[in-house]
Amino acid sequence: MAVLNNKKSKVSDEIPSASMADIAFLLLIFFLVTTVFPKDSGLAIVLPEESETVEVNQKNILHIIIQPTGVVDLKRGESSQVQHVRPNDIESIWRQGVAENPNLIAAVKTHPDASYKFMIDVLDALQLGGATRISLQLFEG
Amino acid sequence: MGIRQGGFQRKSKASDEIPSSSMADIAFLLLIFFMVTTVFQSDKDRPIEWAQAEATKKIDEKKKDILNIWVERDGSVYMNDRLYTMEEITPVIGPMYAASDRHLLISIRADREVAYQHIDQLQKQLVAAGVVRIVFATELERRMTRERR
Repeated sequence: MAVLNNKKSKVSDEIPSASMADIAFLLLIFFLVTTVFPKDSGLAIVLPEESETVEVNQKNILHIIIQPTGVVDLKRGESSQVQHVRPNDIESIWRQGVAENPNLIAAVKTHPDASYKFMIDVLDALQLGGATRISLQLFEG
Repeated sequence: MGIRQGGFQRKSKASDEIPSSSMADIAFLLLIFFMVTTVFQSDKDRPIEWAQAEATKKIDEKKKDILNIWVERDGSVYMNDRLYTMEEITPVIGPMYAASDRHLLISIRADREVAYQHIDQLQKQLVAAGVVRIVFATELERRMTRERR
C-alpha cells in the first residue's frame, strides 16, 4: 500500500477474442437485413395500341403545350385562349378541371426542341394530380 | 476364433456419424461461391443525368421483365450495352416483346436535357413494335429539400 504504482492489475491486458465470431456474425446479419438493392423507379404510362385512334370531343381535352424555353401554355377545349402557367401549377389545374369534367383528357404536346425534363415535370404534375388519361404528342406548328 | 465371434457380429471401429465439425467451412464456401457468382445487372449504366419527379413510383416488376432503353444527351440510343439507331428499335423490340408474351416493360432512361423529338421518335418506334407499357425512369424529387434519394 506504500507505492501505488507497483500494484499489479489482475485483469488481463488482452482483448477477449472468444466473442469475435459473434460480433462478426452480428455485423453480417445486420448488413444482410438492412441492405436494399436499388429498385427501378419512374413514371409509368400506357402507350396507345397501333392504329388505335379515338375521336375525342374537343370539350374534353386539356391542351398542355411545352415550349422549348420550358414555358407551358394551357389551352382548354375549343377556345383559342392561351394561358401561361408553371409546371407546378398543373397539378391544381388538373384537379380543378377533373372536378368540373370527369372525362377530361390531358394532351401533352411537347415542342421537338424542348428538353425532356420539361415534359417530365408536366407528366409529374399530372400524375401527382391523379391523372391517368394522358396523351403524349409532338407539338407541330 | 470360433465362428460366433467373427462374421456378422464384428463391430466396426469407424464412427457411424457424419463429421459435423467441417459443416461451417462448407457453409462458408457455398456462401462465398454464390456471393462471387451472383450477377445482379445485365447491362451497364450509361452516363446520363436523371430526370427528377415527385410522383416517382417503384416499379413492381421482375428484373428480367424490364428492358432498359438509354437515351443519351445527343439522342443516341443504347440497349443491352449496344448502340442502336432509331429505325432499328421496332425490328429489335418487336420479336422480344412477342417472345415475352407481352410482359416486357420498357424503361426509358433518358438524359434530362435530351431534346424531346428523340423521345417522341422512340415512342413511335415502340408503338409500332406493339409495346403498351412503358416507364419513364426518374429519380425521386422531394418538394422541400430537393434531396436525392
